[in-house]
Amino acid sequence: MKSTTIQVEGGRQFSRRDALQVLAAHMTLALAGCSKPAEEIVPYVTMPEGLTPGEPLKFATAVPIGGYGVGVLAISIDGRPIKIEGNPKHPDSLGSTDAFAEAAVMSLYDPDRSRTPTLHGSFSSWDAFGAALLAQLKKHRQNGGEGLRLLTGRITSPTLLRQIDDILVRFPQARWHVHEPIDENVERQGSALAFGRAMHSIPSIEKAEVVLCLDADPLGPGPSQIQNAHRWIQSRDPKRPEHFMRTYVAESTLTPTGIKADHRVALHPNGITDLSIAISNLFGAGLPEPTLSNAAKRFVNACGADLGAHTGRAVVLAGRTLPAEVHALVHWLNAALNAPIAFVEPFDQSASHEPAALRPLVEALHGGRVDALVVIDTNVGYDAPADLALAAALPKAAFSVHLGCYADETAKLCQWHLPQTHFLEGWSDLRGFDGSATIVQPLIRPLYATRSAHELLTMVAGEEKLSYDLVRDTWRPRVTMPFEDWWRQVLHDGVIPETAAQRISVAPPQRPQFPRGSASGEFTLVLSPDPSTWDGRYANSPWLQECPKPISKEVWGNALVVHQEDAARLHLTTGDVVRLSAQNHTLESPVLVSSHGARGVIHLSLGYGRTRAGAIGNSIGVSAYTLRWSDALWTTEVTIKKLNDRREVLTTQNYVRLAGEARDLFPIRLLDDARKVAGAKREGSLPSLYPPAIADTYAWGMVIDTAACIGCNACVVACQAENNVPVVGPEEIARGRDMHWLRVDIYDHGTDGALKAGFQPVPCMHCENAPCEPVCPVAASVHDSEGLNAQVYNRCVGTRFCEANCPYKVRRFNFFGYADGQEYANLGADTIKAQHNPEVSTRQRGVMEKCTYCVQRISRARRDAKREERTIVDGEVVTACQSACPTRAISFGNLNDKTSAVSAVKGEARQYALLEHLNTRPRTTYLADIRNQGVLKGEPS
Amino acid sequence: MAQVFRPAANTIAVLVMAFLGAMPVLAVGPGYTLMKSPYVTNQSVTRTQPVPFSHAHHVGSLGLDCRYCHTSVSTARFASVPPTETCMTCHSQLWTNAQMLAPVRKSLATNTPIRWQRVHVLPDYVYFDHSIHIAKGVGCSTCHGEVDRMPLMRQAAPLTMGWCLDCHRHPEKAVRPRDKVFDMAWTPPPDQIAKGRQLMTEYHIDTAHLTDCSKCHR
Repeated sequence: MKSTTIQVEGGRQFSRRDALQVLAAHMTLALAGCSKPAEEIVPYVTMPEGLTPGEPLKFATAVPIGGYGVGVLAISIDGRPIKIEGNPKHPDSLGSTDAFAEAAVMSLYDPDRSRTPTLHGSFSSWDAFGAALLAQLKKHRQNGGEGLRLLTGRITSPTLLRQIDDILVRFPQARWHVHEPIDENVERQGSALAFGRAMHSIPSIEKAEVVLCLDADPLGPGPSQIQNAHRWIQSRDPKRPEHFMRTYVAESTLTPTGIKADHRVALHPNGITDLSIAISNLFGAGLPEPTLSNAAKRFVNACGADLGAHTGRAVVLAGRTLPAEVHALVHWLNAALNAPIAFVEPFDQSASHEPAALRPLVEALHGGRVDALVVIDTNVGYDAPADLALAAALPKAAFSVHLGCYADETAKLCQWHLPQTHFLEGWSDLRGFDGSATIVQPLIRPLYATRSAHELLTMVAGEEKLSYDLVRDTWRPRVTMPFEDWWRQVLHDGVIPETAAQRISVAPPQRPQFPRGSASGEFTLVLSPDPSTWDGRYANSPWLQECPKPISKEVWGNALVVHQEDAARLHLTTGDVVRLSAQNHTLESPVLVSSHGARGVIHLSLGYGRTRAGAIGNSIGVSAYTLRWSDALWTTEVTIKKLNDRREVLTTQNYVRLAGEARDLFPIRLLDDARKVAGAKREGSLPSLYPPAIADTYAWGMVIDTAACIGCNACVVACQAENNVPVVGPEEIARGRDMHWLRVDIYDHGTDGALKAGFQPVPCMHCENAPCEPVCPVAASVHDSEGLNAQVYNRCVGTRFCEANCPYKVRRFNFFGYADGQEYANLGADTIKAQHNPEVSTRQRGVMEKCTYCVQRISRARRDAKREERTIVDGEVVTACQSACPTRAISFGNLNDKTSAVSAVKGEARQYALLEHLNTRPRTTYLADIRNQGVLKGEPS
Repeated sequence: MAQVFRPAANTIAVLVMAFLGAMPVLAVGPGYTLMKSPYVTNQSVTRTQPVPFSHAHHVGSLGLDCRYCHTSVSTARFASVPPTETCMTCHSQLWTNAQMLAPVRKSLATNTPIRWQRVHVLPDYVYFDHSIHIAKGVGCSTCHGEVDRMPLMRQAAPLTMGWCLDCHRHPEKAVRPRDKVFDMAWTPPPDQIAKGRQLMTEYHIDTAHLTDCSKCHR
């Protein structure tokens, strides 16, 4: 018989016998691999003070969001930061978070973070950079800093501002430029026009009874979202109907504020300018009367009368898309209304040096006047306005340095890229939206060879100092009490007392003169910050990419929102690709058809189309910066051309209008009816074959107030962080699969162009008569005595019968090992595992999972209580979603305790259960949404 | 044509079918035995440690309290294995040149932890809490055995779910007075069941919901 041999590399013969030997060896190894792996216990050498293995520690710090610091408590277990929660003592948090703050912990462990300095893209070292910098500085010491430029994002850190001041004193010819893609320049120009000085205004919405938003989105994403949401809900307390605030919103694109509005009108930004003139004229502005549509006229009359009737308790807010003149006019109007608004000095600039903008830097670069450029934590290579052509200008600097957490688009344009320390790894300080300062303290030693902005600036200043000493040096002269006592106190509290910006009293504002704007192009493109990626800096966050946008429910992308009438005219349907053109720039984007924007206005959010964000954020969506001009940052006139191409727009909820059912699933009541019991309340319960609920222990229950929900997604990301909920990625989303234990549904039972909508967070209902339980063949879905519908992962064999039988569709199936070996992109990296909450099991492929009411938190409270021989007190168990919520829409507690907060809310007249007629007796119930309609009552809001 | 099958084939076919039918049932017994066997549970397995630490010497002979090293046992989920500096509180004075303790001195000198082999391994989806068991009068030796007589640490109990549930259903078999929890010499009195029931009332141990899945699994 001819022997079967294969010639392998190197000339060796590989016979059948060899193959069998290898096979046998593999089988032996595979069988040997079945034994349990030996586990190790690796204790400390020296135990850190205050640490107990496996027990969480909380540290007060601040998350930077657009340069402002939101005060938070970061939770660390065994030295690993795993979760971020709100800091009740911080005025920007008041115990709550937003989606960005919740997702910040993931960025620490991002495998795409840069780890070592690079020169022209090749690995280098801090020492090599130090030497190069030294040679450069030698030159600048002689010429007084001529040609030395510093480019940063918005800086509120007192220490960083002090350091920049110091550098500008050392190098008098050096210049500091600030570029923040989502800035407050229009607002500041408006206050400069009205008062003669740029100011930062903080409206006291909580004192208002009438609020008019002119393309302003106070409830939308941003550093002030939590604070605004707190203020907004305070003024909308149905227990005080006489003071219940009424919101009027005129906007060009649909925003969360518009969804929650009592009266809303969709207008082109120019139409909103006209509307603001018309309203001001009612208060004696005496501007030329604009022409308005009938709907806008009715809106103006009703709103004007309401504002006038609430002098001293009415506030008008203007948004970014409106010109500075309208902002000035709104200041004038607010003064006429005696509106509760505080003005403060901008605190994102040093006392002696006001930063220059980006444009002069670009001009200097083109003129060859920049010798050395230091870019700190800003991604101008991606987010600079298109007309500045920064990509061509930046390489003209003879010596350029970029400090950032990622080797991003800007890093590519600079010679040196230096890895930056994450905020959870280093010392710093930040100011909140009202100026309150917080010391940013590290929870973990830097994971990589990184340095902070403070440390880089000390190198530029020609000395070497640690961030810790720099921050302490900033505050030491300002403290009157013994410094170490003070230091310990502010680190503990997470906010430095009496650091809120000084309120300034203002002279009566000037009424501005302004030319009428006119739309010249076919369409006005309105740009906005993105609720998931903000300005693009969070593009590499898997949690935020997969977090459905509040209104469109889009994930992994940013489609161009087109009004349905415009879409019909252009023969566009959702998913069609169009080309937008303006001033020789073009952009191709898929379309998402909506019925609630203004006609002639198309909307695109910033923050997508990144090329060097990382494995998660690259090539997702389109970059709206391509069509952004430095003189008009938020609106652009464009033309649209339909292309013969389609791209799928990924959404997690399809926009379907359910004519009758939405009223049952998401009732909206008028304020007058809010406290009345609707219809005949069903007495007792329907007959059932299920065993009765156990009543001799705790009965956990939840109530979600849909009137308070602003759809901000803080709860969704909080749940994901707390419960190790995996990310599935865009391909799986396209197959209709996602893993969020908590989703926020959007309902609309209005008509075209007339909105009647709201948000409804949907976790597991923990039904007392749970339909998922009897269908499980292996009893993996079972009830516990406290009313939790538990899922036993180890029993689950993946029949998915429970998912099919769940009327609320809250069960999630691991079609793949999303968290267990088949992670999306780079999410299986070891660093990511460090984020996982050790108190929650990660689920494997083929098992069902769902909301557990944060059973690990209940268990902790129960064990604490039992150890102390007491019962769990009301408020001791706070679920992750509940703790994140900025409007406190979620109540949770023991229903068997009739004095508990949740029992009180369960008794409210607005309470209803989802799909009550199915007799599932859900433990999670809702409070109906409320509209406070005034004279326009009956008209669609 | 000759017969394809011999007459005995009928008997063989019946036997094969009967065996195939009975095998799953017959396999249950050996399966359960295997599951509970030390081969699977690692019961009584002694592991090689980097330092041959003897509980028999430290607890049995010297009389150290459990909590001297396992500091968080009454306050947290994990009893915690002591840091090197705990060893060195005594061994910076005693046996300072013993060859056996070289890894401990090296650990302190080089600031590298000692890597102990874990003896009691529960699956990751089990969330056991030491502190609550201590608080409710479950003694160390109930689960860990006569540690004071173990020259090298071994796993005394099978640590199977059935073993856990046995006690969660009938805690009276194990509950002892709180002041005896760390007492290695404690043995159940003849009237343990009655005493245990009395202590259960005193310590508010209610077995009604002690076997809920969510008590131990999340």
